[in-house]
Amino acid sequence: MVFSLSKESQAELQLFQNEIAAANPSDLLQFSANYFNQRLEQQRAFLKAREPEFRAKNIVLFPETDEPLSRPQSAQSQSRSRSSVMFKSPFVNEDPHSNVFKNGFDMDPHEQDAHQPLKEEQQHGGEKGSTPPLPMHFNAQRRTSVSGETLQPNNFDDWTPDHYKEKSEQQLERLEKSIGNNFLFNKLDSDSKRLVINCLEEKSVRNGSTIIKQGDQGDYFYVVEQGTVDFYVNDNKVNSSGPGSSFGELALMYNSPRAATVVATSDCLLWALDRLTFRKILLGSSFKKRLMYDDLLKTMPVLKSLTTYDRAKLADALDTKIYQPGETIIREGDQGENFYLIEYGAVDVSKDGQGVINKLKDHDYFGEVALLNDLPRQATVTATKRTKVATLGKSGFQRLLGPAVDVLKLNDPTRH
Amino acid sequence: MDFVAGQPQPVGQSIQQQQQQQQQNANTHEQDFPQPHHDLQQRQQHHQQLLPSQLPQKSLISKGKYTLHDFQIMRTLGTGSFGRVHLVRSVHNGRYYAIKVLKKQQIVKMKQVEHTNDERRMLKLVEHPFLIRMWGTFQDARNIFMVMDYIEGGELFSLLRKSQRFPNPVAKFYAAEVILALEYLHGHNIIYRDLKPENILLDRNGHIKITDFGFAKEVQTVTWTLCGTPDYIAPEVITTKPYNKSVDWWSLGVLIYEMLAGYTPFYDTTPMKTYEKILQGKVIYPPYFHPDVVDLLSKLITADLTRRIGNLQSGSKDIKAHPWFSEVVWERLLAKDIETPYEPPITSGIGDTSLFDQYPEEQLDYGIQGDDPYAEYFHDF
Repeated sequence: MVFSLSKESQAELQLFQNEIAAANPSDLLQFSANYFNQRLEQQRAFLKAREPEFRAKNIVLFPETDEPLSRPQSAQSQSRSRSSVMFKSPFVNEDPHSNVFKNGFDMDPHEQDAHQPLKEEQQHGGEKGSTPPLPMHFNAQRRTSVSGETLQPNNFDDWTPDHYKEKSEQQLERLEKSIGNNFLFNKLDSDSKRLVINCLEEKSVRNGSTIIKQGDQGDYFYVVEQGTVDFYVNDNKVNSSGPGSSFGELALMYNSPRAATVVATSDCLLWALDRLTFRKILLGSSFKKRLMYDDLLKTMPVLKSLTTYDRAKLADALDTKIYQPGETIIREGDQGENFYLIEYGAVDVSKDGQGVINKLKDHDYFGEVALLNDLPRQATVTATKRTKVATLGKSGFQRLLGPAVDVLKLNDPTRH
Repeated sequence: MDFVAGQPQPVGQSIQQQQQQQQQNANTHEQDFPQPHHDLQQRQQHHQQLLPSQLPQKSLISKGKYTLHDFQIMRTLGTGSFGRVHLVRSVHNGRYYAIKVLKKQQIVKMKQVEHTNDERRMLKLVEHPFLIRMWGTFQDARNIFMVMDYIEGGELFSLLRKSQRFPNPVAKFYAAEVILALEYLHGHNIIYRDLKPENILLDRNGHIKITDFGFAKEVQTVTWTLCGTPDYIAPEVITTKPYNKSVDWWSLGVLIYEMLAGYTPFYDTTPMKTYEKILQGKVIYPPYFHPDVVDLLSKLITADLTRRIGNLQSGSKDIKAHPWFSEVVWERLLAKDIETPYEPPITSGIGDTSLFDQYPEEQLDYGIQGDDPYAEYFHDF
């Protein structure tokens, strides 16, 4: 969260600084407290003097109320220390209102424990003792919302990345290793990953130059190819790194102020990737995949009577899994649980005694009978190439669709 | 009708005209927009998900009714990335309102034009006891303005930080009201996408009002934009999958967790580390959490969309039927017929802002007319 101080605040701070410079106090805290109390007094006196003027304009500067009771109450609550909020008692046993919720809010012994501190506090009104402290580093401040650009993946078809440049096999391998551990990249399929890497732009920077600056808006992610860099937070050096390291990855998600300054400590060769390129590749692949799922689910006879909405929910819930050549995906005679869509790859379908009876490839599906029926698997399916499948189990299917499953069973064309 | 009487009166109308106008408003209001709970009941009788519900046929126009001159601008109640919220006072009826002011240049620079237009449209459409109400909008050359009710009790965030954490029944009360609001929004195919204590206000009686519709959006199928607040973002958003309502139920889980624990389940020092934790999905429940709420949270804060409660076939009904909410009489809660756990210690109706934090004020540039390079983006304000 970065905000620049208003002019008034700056002026106020300047004034304060001048005061400190003039007085050179030995006890800075006490001096500051006295000083600001005095400032507040001045300001209040100033406003108080102008009260009639404001009242004429119907502006109440110092509200008084007709209800004398509510004043001390609110004053009291403001002066009350942190963590001493009084909650009303519809939630405690003896309260006449405890029937506002069905069964009242009787606390069980388990809960009683947890609220002991609060109860004590209500009785004695004093400082409470034993609430566990907040974890270290928890940011108790207001949290800023973040947002990436709104992109419509359905109009990416004629989009080509600006900085596409084929990398050598060696470079590809090295870069894949550099970014492989980052969650932003390790979920990408190999095509997208390759495309992302080929979109990296080469940048050289001179020794001593600043690559990114703390607080600046971030658009680029960087991988160090050659050279070394230092990281600074609030002008303190916090880290340094060399070839293979990367930084600035948050910029690939959305626009936000840089958390650190990065300075080249030698002449550097960097790879840079901008957010828009990255998001478009990611969204484009995600969107295509989604279309494919939807198309495939639509063509499956067992799911024919599903509504568009339910089909979308199903598509969202699919899990992906990769099988190596030779690996068996389902085995004839086993109890069936999952169904599978082949995103890419190739599999053999075989039956005992008959050998291979079918070959399936990209965008085919199998095992769907298991979603509705408890029949054992009718065949064995084995990957013959590296195969990526999208899959969903019967239990997940039923949790998600509930009663709709019964409708599907009724209309199941594979039965009878 | 209370709400018509509370309208900030527009400039240049005689009392009589105003009364006529109010009469008309009252009439059209009732015809155009059925009471939310009736609406929801109807929806539940039908199949909520099978019938893609349309938003009520309500006027979408929010501009033209108010101008800057109708209000005295007073102190800042909150600040955000592209503007601030002021307490204001109607020069006509003397009542207090809140005006959200957004800088056009900043919106365009941050590429939030679409979200801002969605925010206006959603606010204009929704009407629910637990959602903020917008009265109208206007603009000058640099800013857009949204006139809303002033909700006096401050942010749930402030109450939570002051109390550190809420007792189980208190968290349950606020969670239950939030669920009704989300249920209403989802019933109209609106996803909210920014649930957190900062965006929940408390009214004078201590009921919630969800505010800040900056990311609210009407979505028929799925959407893709990465947005929210790091601690609260669902894993499917981080991994750039298409998503819909499920993300609000995840955030509800995080909200309940934060209300009970005082901190969020995936907090870390940097957003990237938080996102990694969200994707790992490991949640540690403090020993003082009630077993029922642990069960509920494990079903909300799960990456598996076939297990996330609220996202399943019966939608929000599954959550409302969960044992943790067994004491809650939902109909009475919706009617605000339940005593709130905490009544904000304020004097109502006098612009009491004691429960809002102080923010540095800045030189206001409101009311400037003339050259407006961004006019094309904000026609509807």
